[in-house]
Amino acid sequence: MKCEEIAELLPDYLQGRLALDQASLVEEHVRGCVPCGEEAALWQKLALLPEEQPGPAVRSRFKAMLESYEEGRWEKASLSQERKKGPALWGLGNLLQSPAAGVVWACIFLVCGFFIGRHSDQASTSTTELTAMHEELTNMRQSVALSMLKQQSASQRLEGVSWSTRMTGPDPKVLDALLHTLRYDNSVDVRLASLDALSRYGSRPEVRRGLIEALPGQQSPLVQVALIDLLVDLHDPNAVQQFKRFQQDPKVDPTVRKRADWGIQQLS
Amino acid sequence: MTNSMSDEELMSQVRNGIGEMLGVLFERYHVPLFNFYLRLTGDRPMSEDLVQEVFFRILKYRHSYRTDTGFRAWMYQIARNVRFDHLRKRRPETSWEPSMSPAVEPADTAQQSQESALLHQALLHLGEDKREVLILSRFQDLKYDEIAQLLGCEVGTVKTRVHRALQDLRQIFQLLEGGKSLPRKSSEGTDRWPNPESLQ
Repeated sequence: MKCEEIAELLPDYLQGRLALDQASLVEEHVRGCVPCGEEAALWQKLALLPEEQPGPAVRSRFKAMLESYEEGRWEKASLSQERKKGPALWGLGNLLQSPAAGVVWACIFLVCGFFIGRHSDQASTSTTELTAMHEELTNMRQSVALSMLKQQSASQRLEGVSWSTRMTGPDPKVLDALLHTLRYDNSVDVRLASLDALSRYGSRPEVRRGLIEALPGQQSPLVQVALIDLLVDLHDPNAVQQFKRFQQDPKVDPTVRKRADWGIQQLS
Repeated sequence: MTNSMSDEELMSQVRNGIGEMLGVLFERYHVPLFNFYLRLTGDRPMSEDLVQEVFFRILKYRHSYRTDTGFRAWMYQIARNVRFDHLRKRRPETSWEPSMSPAVEPADTAQQSQESALLHQALLHLGEDKREVLILSRFQDLKYDEIAQLLGCEVGTVKTRVHRALQDLRQIFQLLEGGKSLPRKSSEGTDRWPNPESLQ
């Protein structure tokens, strides 16, 4: 048989899907033909490539996602019960911000998209669907970030911080959770990571306010210096007052006092 | 009990709202999916992210799963879409993750035989469309007709591409074995993701 004829059979031969008589024809050719033989050998050699294992974060993120999915359903159920008990408890603002509402909005968009699409061109339908899909995914990411920030292990909380940065515009709940982490997490690494994540949203006044409020409670010189640097980068003059407190407090690490001094000069 | 259930049965349960069944599917497929992305891109942190995204979408779009569809083909369809979307929206300034993640290269490179290391390199130098079809048929255990369905092309096209992929791989492998250095293909972004219609 010629190479061209073998070429048609070779892929099936390699996956072991040829009948015996055809397989033996290919085998015979492969033994006598160097290029075809090498190709068949390469297919076998590919088995040498080891199967890699993903890092443990993949599993913990998956678990967090599943938990938030289960919690989401629970929230929906409790939401309807709460509303039966007393609608006043549920302000419109809360309702609009809840993840469940996100899904409802997504559905409304989808339905609207459907009707608009029937009367206009098809492109607008797909744009609406894409928006709804994007919104749903954003909601899920927020749930995962929030869920992971509450985990026991520091590495999982770090992952939670990392997840929060994957959103183009995190909702206020995620920003609150990050600010809370910055103030109260007992791991310096997690606090630094949350500071790094928050630096992306430094243009928001509520974030800058949160950063300044986080300054007095910080014990670690590393976090104190990073906070001073960020607030200087953000040119927030409201930080000066707190910098002065650092500067005058003898209990504060000398490096931090020096940094605060530098920060005051930069912002004055 | 759940271990004896087929993928399709498990997915039907997920579809009916029993989210925990997704855990069994995760155990079955997160490593193959991770290796699918890793072999395709050579980028470990990104591969981990994409695996996560696949399971997100399986859960979010569970209602679109049709019980008469093979689960694996459906899952790999999602996996391709996830990567396609990732390539489309990726912006260099948003790549914050690597600093928090382990190194990109496989951890056991030092222990790998030279041949296997060369093979890994050769695979990353293959054209993306050929690399994908080779990975799907060799490692992901998909039949050619399943791959054809996935890529939206004829079975014959898939087989031809597998054969051409092997031909190219052989040449690249020989060049690398002979000590010739090839410019390493960028793991992402430089190749445009092939349009299924252009595969014919």
